[in-house]
Amino acid sequence: MSRTSRPPFPFVLLRFWLVRILPAWCGIALLIFLMQIAVSAIVHDNEKVKTLLGFIDMLPSIVKAALGGEMLRVGNTSALIAIGYNHPFVLFLFMLFAVGTPTGLLAGEVQRGTMELILSHPATKTQVYVCAGILTLAGMFALDIVMFLGTVAGVNIFTFKDRVPLDVFFRIAVNGGLLASTFGAFALLCAGTFGKLYTAISVSVAFLVANYFVAILSNWWPRMAFLRPATLFYLVDSSDLWQGWPLRNMGILAVILLVTAGLGAVIWHRRDLPL
Amino acid sequence: MAAIEIESLTKWYSRVRGVEDVTFSIERGEVFGYLGPNGSGKTTTIRCLMGLLRPSRGEVRVLGERVAPGRGTQHARIGYLPGDFRIWGRAKARRALGILAALGGDGGSAARRKELAERLELNLDRAVGDLSKGNRQKVALISAFQHRPDVLVLDEPTAGLDPLMRQTALDLIREAAGGGAAVLLSSHDLSEVAAVCSRAAILREGRLVEMAPISQIIQQGEHRLKIWFADGAGVGDVPTAQLPGVRIVERQAGMLHLAYQGTADAILKWVAQFPVDRIATPQTSLEEAFMQYYRSSPSAVVGAGVHKAARGVRA
Repeated sequence: MSRTSRPPFPFVLLRFWLVRILPAWCGIALLIFLMQIAVSAIVHDNEKVKTLLGFIDMLPSIVKAALGGEMLRVGNTSALIAIGYNHPFVLFLFMLFAVGTPTGLLAGEVQRGTMELILSHPATKTQVYVCAGILTLAGMFALDIVMFLGTVAGVNIFTFKDRVPLDVFFRIAVNGGLLASTFGAFALLCAGTFGKLYTAISVSVAFLVANYFVAILSNWWPRMAFLRPATLFYLVDSSDLWQGWPLRNMGILAVILLVTAGLGAVIWHRRDLPL
Repeated sequence: MAAIEIESLTKWYSRVRGVEDVTFSIERGEVFGYLGPNGSGKTTTIRCLMGLLRPSRGEVRVLGERVAPGRGTQHARIGYLPGDFRIWGRAKARRALGILAALGGDGGSAARRKELAERLELNLDRAVGDLSKGNRQKVALISAFQHRPDVLVLDEPTAGLDPLMRQTALDLIREAAGGGAAVLLSSHDLSEVAAVCSRAAILREGRLVEMAPISQIIQQGEHRLKIWFADGAGVGDVPTAQLPGVRIVERQAGMLHLAYQGTADAILKWVAQFPVDRIATPQTSLEEAFMQYYRSSPSAVVGAGVHKAARGVRA
């Protein structure tokens, strides 16, 4: 006689992991939120904007390109507020969460030896992977929403001469969330594939940095413009976002996200863990 | 229906053999010893049984259900104690055990947890990372027993425990088996295997070389004979060439301690020519029987009888 039992979804594990990552998420979210308010505090005042642009002009042109390029000028309030969205510090915070969460939860538990204990309880490997996936992707998306709320708070705290189109920033935040979640999915794939925590982290970071570097390089150096479509950042083009919802790019990003996370799930399920 | 059935289990790690063609079954209420030196394949078998490793060949069934790797097959009814128990160090023992119990779908095991902690004299309100090795092992024992499982898979359950706690742990195993649980006990401590197991299997280089009741395994090992000669008389050289399978364990003036395989007939006939004061037959321990399997060549011990015995048990 044989009967098949399917363990119920391990919400306990999801809750346990949520509690573990929550302090780090809150810290990152707070910094991102404050960053947006700080940007609003600077860009609402034209005198401060001039000082900021003077400072940016002193930086290498590649850095200026990374912060918004020629769109950064007095009076273009929206482009100036957007500095808070693609500032390297903000991207670093996103990367911290995108890479740290899935690798810490999957590869980290494997390396610590606690994954054997988790998997010896009624939870399938796929369910465990899904728990890490939910926390990574939802966490990334939530960070983007916090970023948008930071802009909303900044716009309400400080007085701007021109109306700030919050709907555009909402679009940027949602698309940014999709992009960040795709990087999170890649880190999830690495966490499901590599046994060693540091290998998973290194490959995830290398992928993210390579994408970012190529995106900046191809925007800054006209001869490298052909490389633009080679990065995920290309799918979140600010000029598209100004016009409306870039549904085609959003669809492509969603497909990449799902395929990457799905591939990670298959590899994670099929391979023997180094217990 | 046996609680655990393992049929022709084979696991290769690339080109390295983990286990090959392992077959045995464990009935409900039985404590089954699983013996073998380091690297013999005990942990590989256990991890295949728990669905943590994907077998290269063969099948494992727990409580009638085929174990599918990574699917948590029957895990709610299995108490598992890994050989290297590691748990979240910063969590208090009570919380860590509570999470594991809740993960097993048994949030109501707090009373059982408390009872086990009292028996094992463990303070549950300390962080696991601050506990000594022995106390961490107690946490491991509680995690395996707290949900009153139908199957217990225990890899070195008493490692690091003091003799008193070791007895308590063995009592827990006996009680679980008495309540109908099937217990797979992997251990290096042969005295504890002899104390609680009814049957045992011995692994060598990934293959099962023996599976029999403990008493039979002990009998199959070397036998001992201690002979004291009258008036302390010496017996000269022992003609080991004429006494095949005999070796000298200890030799003193007027006393000879011999180990032999098979019957004592040849020894007794040789000894009869000397004035004998008395003869004793010390008990052979499981350890000596176990060592026997590792002194002889693999081909000498790998027998068809193992598989026959495995099938006989299930029949």
